[in-house]
Amino acid sequence: MHFKEAISIALDSLRAHKLRSFLTLLGVIISVCTLVAVIALVQGVNLYVATKIGRLGLNTFSLNQFSLHDMTDRQRFARAVHRNPPLRMADYNYLRHSATIPIAIAASVENNSGTLKAQGQEMDDVSVRGVTPSDLVMESFHVAQGRFIGHFDEQHRTQVAFIGPDVVKHIFPGINPLGRHILVNGSQFRVIGVASKQGNVFGNSLDQFVMMPISTFRKLNGKQASINIGFKAGGSALVQPAMDQVRMLMRARRHLAYTAKANFGLIGSSAVMDLWHSITGAIAAVMVGVSVVFLVVGGIVIMNIMLAAVTERTHEVGIRKAIGARRADILRQFLVESAVLSTTGGVLGILAAWLFTLLAGRYTPIPFSLPWTAVIMALLVSTAVGLFFGIYPAGKAARLDPIVALRSET
Amino acid sequence: MPSTLTQSAVTRPPDAAAAAIIRTEDLWKIYEMGAEQVAALRGVNLLIARNEYVAIMGPSGSGKSTLMNLIGCLDSPSRGQYWLNGQQVSAMPDDDLAYIRNREIGFVFQTFNLLPRATALHNVELPLIYAGIGTEERAQRALEALRRVDLEPRKNHRPNELSGGQRQRVAIARALVTRPSLILADEPTGNLDSTTSKEIMALFDRLWEEGNTIVLVTHEHDIAEHAHRVIYIRDGQVADDKPTARARQRT
Ligand SMILES: Nc1ncnc2c1ncn2[C@@H]1O[C@H](COP(=O)(O)OP(=O)(O)OP(=O)(O)O)[C@@H](O)[C@H]1O
Ligand SMILES: [Mg+2]
Repeated sequence: MHFKEAISIALDSLRAHKLRSFLTLLGVIISVCTLVAVIALVQGVNLYVATKIGRLGLNTFSLNQFSLHDMTDRQRFARAVHRNPPLRMADYNYLRHSATIPIAIAASVENNSGTLKAQGQEMDDVSVRGVTPSDLVMESFHVAQGRFIGHFDEQHRTQVAFIGPDVVKHIFPGINPLGRHILVNGSQFRVIGVASKQGNVFGNSLDQFVMMPISTFRKLNGKQASINIGFKAGGSALVQPAMDQVRMLMRARRHLAYTAKANFGLIGSSAVMDLWHSITGAIAAVMVGVSVVFLVVGGIVIMNIMLAAVTERTHEVGIRKAIGARRADILRQFLVESAVLSTTGGVLGILAAWLFTLLAGRYTPIPFSLPWTAVIMALLVSTAVGLFFGIYPAGKAARLDPIVALRSET
Repeated sequence: MPSTLTQSAVTRPPDAAAAAIIRTEDLWKIYEMGAEQVAALRGVNLLIARNEYVAIMGPSGSGKSTLMNLIGCLDSPSRGQYWLNGQQVSAMPDDDLAYIRNREIGFVFQTFNLLPRATALHNVELPLIYAGIGTEERAQRALEALRRVDLEPRKNHRPNELSGGQRQRVAIARALVTRPSLILADEPTGNLDSTTSKEIMALFDRLWEEGNTIVLVTHEHDIAEHAHRVIYIRDGQVADDKPTARARQRT
């Protein structure tokens, strides 16, 4: 009915005072923008973490000397160092035969401060890893060039290297690295393959590594270091049963009592995500709180401007009442106006958040997208704020006495 | 429909008065000004029949506008009763009065009281919007009303693009558009020059001839002469009530 009319009145007055409306809506704009941007950020980062930081391929998990929980606190870590024995190749071999649910098992060792030399170039802080041939299925990269480490290499402890694309960039720029020699911590290796690019996590490259057979690694670096054991399940539904089986086997192997704490760490993508969610969840909660404060401030500003509008248009209300507008008609007119006002703020806020995600998506490696649920929620919330904070001014207008209102000067 | 409409049957006044469109009984309006009380109306008794043409005159501050506002259901009396079309309206709640104003009354003000940002057509449509009439019929009836005041060509002008006389004609079209039973005008020519006043009064004459009931307030005798009956108000009371020369000519 005169709903359309109420909306066009509202849009008219918005157009008539563009700057004033913008300033009025700043609170709502900022609030909606933070809300949507934070949700986009958390979603994007979660996705990113799941694929990158976890460095876990699909349906994989790993058995480590320490759990993620052990590493969140220095004292906790000190206790874990005491409690948790290192993992050995014997554990790997045992699990390879006993763990029946995983479809692949791999062992790896890592040393993060390797030095590479070749072609007169030098590269520090390279991750040097010893791996079993089965490691390839655990990784989120694939073989871009050449081949991966094979069983022959593993058995004969050959000095072969499978390198990350960053190593190619630094040491073999513009050169085919296959078959070339490279010094890894002083020992000579022959390059047999190159991994596909994975990108960065928080400025740390995932592509700066050298892999060699785990047997070769242990021959060169000694056998004390704990190994990590990776597992791959045959489907997402089998990840949890596989983890349970590995946990049980390890507890039995280490003679842990039923009530004793595990002295090893099982890290699945869920564990990584849990840890991460607890961090991003806290950030998100703070930002949502901030945006709620802005929203309330924005709502109060809208209420203020609506009160001014009612005063400004008292004479108009008088005219409308004189020709038959009822309280509900006037109430509706001003409620629609404040709802249109705040929803406009919401739309502008969403546009700002959208720009933010575009820019952030371009200049960071995090995959940003505008979450539709957040957009719809933000629209609903901003409209609701306008309605809520419009009630008092609209009620005031609706209760005006027609004679008094008509007599007020315009 | 407001619930009070059915109740009024009980309080309906008897016989001859039932034919009256306006009937007031001991109407008082007292304004509270802090401690002070101003009695603007002090017991007004009126009987105005259908298709009468009445002028209300009186000195400034005598209570003419106060009386018009009560008759027009814009305000409620402090004391006394008022029947409009046999329907007791003096004690109606706000929204019921709005309904009566919308359906039964066309009010024309001295200062026009048009919405400044709306076109002539939209101003005329406004009462129909609140009557809940659909877009098409609304536009059609508003155009027809504008045609009756000879302003159809100005339908898309805003009030500040119209002369005073044209604005008052838009206001009259707005008063007519709901086909009310009563047209009230409080000094409709008060802001107009004498030529324009004559045009507006000719319009009122025509509306009366078409069967409308008209009550208007004026300070000028030649304006009052258009009516058939003049009611003089002094100090909030009816001081005199007599036919005009025009009415005497007619009989
Ligand atoms: N809202 C009000 N509050 C207090 N007193 C009022 C109010 N409205 C009118 N009055 C008083 O009531 C009396 C009648 O006023 P009213 O406006 O009815 O006079 P009027 O006959 O229309 O005068 P005019 O010819 O100047 O328009 C005046 O004394 C006026 O001061
Ligand atoms: Mg007056």
